[in-house]
Amino acid sequence: MIKLTGLRKSFGGTEILKDISFTLDRGNVLSIIGPSGSGKSTTLRIITQLERADDGTLEIAGSTLFSSVDGKAVYAKPDEERKIGLKTGLVFQSFNLFPHFSVLRNITEAQRAVLHRTKEEAEEKAISLLRKMGIEDKAKQYPYQLSGGQQQRVSIARALALDPEVLFFDEPTSALDPELTREILKVIRELAEEKMTMAVVTHEMHFARAISDWAIFMDKGVIVEEGAPDELFGNPKEERTRKFIASFED
Amino acid sequence: MQGLIIQMLEGTVTSLKIFFLTLLFSLPLGFVVAKGRMTRIAPVRWIVDLYIQIMRGTPLILQLIFVYFAPFYIFGASYDRFTACIVAFVINYSAYFSEIYRSGLQSIDKGQYEASKVLGFSKAYTFFHIILPQVIKRILPALGNEVITLVKDTALAQTIGVAELFRVAQTASSREFSTVPIFIAGIFYFVMNYIVSRLFVIGERKLDYYR
Repeated sequence: MIKLTGLRKSFGGTEILKDISFTLDRGNVLSIIGPSGSGKSTTLRIITQLERADDGTLEIAGSTLFSSVDGKAVYAKPDEERKIGLKTGLVFQSFNLFPHFSVLRNITEAQRAVLHRTKEEAEEKAISLLRKMGIEDKAKQYPYQLSGGQQQRVSIARALALDPEVLFFDEPTSALDPELTREILKVIRELAEEKMTMAVVTHEMHFARAISDWAIFMDKGVIVEEGAPDELFGNPKEERTRKFIASFED
Repeated sequence: MQGLIIQMLEGTVTSLKIFFLTLLFSLPLGFVVAKGRMTRIAPVRWIVDLYIQIMRGTPLILQLIFVYFAPFYIFGASYDRFTACIVAFVINYSAYFSEIYRSGLQSIDKGQYEASKVLGFSKAYTFFHIILPQVIKRILPALGNEVITLVKDTALAQTIGVAELFRVAQTASSREFSTVPIFIAGIFYFVMNYIVSRLFVIGERKLDYYR
């Protein structure tokens, strides 16, 4: 589904991603852990086209977004980029709902403007997603009237409404208290059970271990270690990984 | 007395023409200026910045005189006073509006642009459907202030001989050795601005449904 090789990215002369490679198979869940500034978020932001890669090759569901030519990432044509963009969805740490739209319209707007679905189709889809998220009764409310956990569920529904082939989460619970965090983790777990392809950047270690099929530990722009979650979390090989995971105990 | 009122109403029509024509051109132009002020192309930014500084740093009355008389001294050609008056108002108000727009645009969280991008909205769609409505809500109070100032500033048009409300009132005042016409003009301005400020209150209330 996702095949990333040799990704490099610098900001103002500082290299923050050095040769990142991984694959994510359809129906699998990948978790990416690591300290702040390790490049986890930037990796997601490059795959979802919020940032441009300097070098590397990325295939998403059979299409090539960029490929490495003479040490430089060469992107697909803008049209193709947009098409590939629709295969990926992203859930932000800070929700980024549209405050001037009702909950319903937050979920229907892109369906109508981008996928050209009819109002009825879009609303039907939105309502069924809200039902799935357990907040069907909030459809007519505005984002500011909802709790953080509810807002994040709306933003997940908004991303799912476009039927992405793979969904990315960029620290989806970092702005939430423990109780609301549980709400969101439950939703993501349910999506995993339905075999939604996902990659999650998170600091929730137990959660990451429980839901993922593969886990990556990043630090200072490189993948320090990767493996099956029970291995990576239960028996890390690298000293750096061990230290990081231990810092979450007690 | 009746004749005076009719003359003053005619003056008011001229004032309203200045008012509406200025808004018609400077409200959209302000956006262009704001974009120029925020561009990454440094020379454009400097020029636009200088323009805004001059517009804000010199009296409007001086700008009116300059716009009307400069072409005469430079090219030996003179033109219609009313046109000159509209040009001066538009270039002045575009500068002020642009700064209001800029503050509004810069107050929008970048997450709004990122969410729009990830959802596949085009740049134009993002601007008109996601960003602009939020900008309008935020700048409405500042815009209201500026528009009220514009109503009163139209009185400056008389400097270059445009017969707007205040000019009519002053002429009548010296003809009749009475300050009553001036006082009546004051009431006219007050009523116009009362309407303007009510309209802005209604607008703000309409956008009060979200935060």
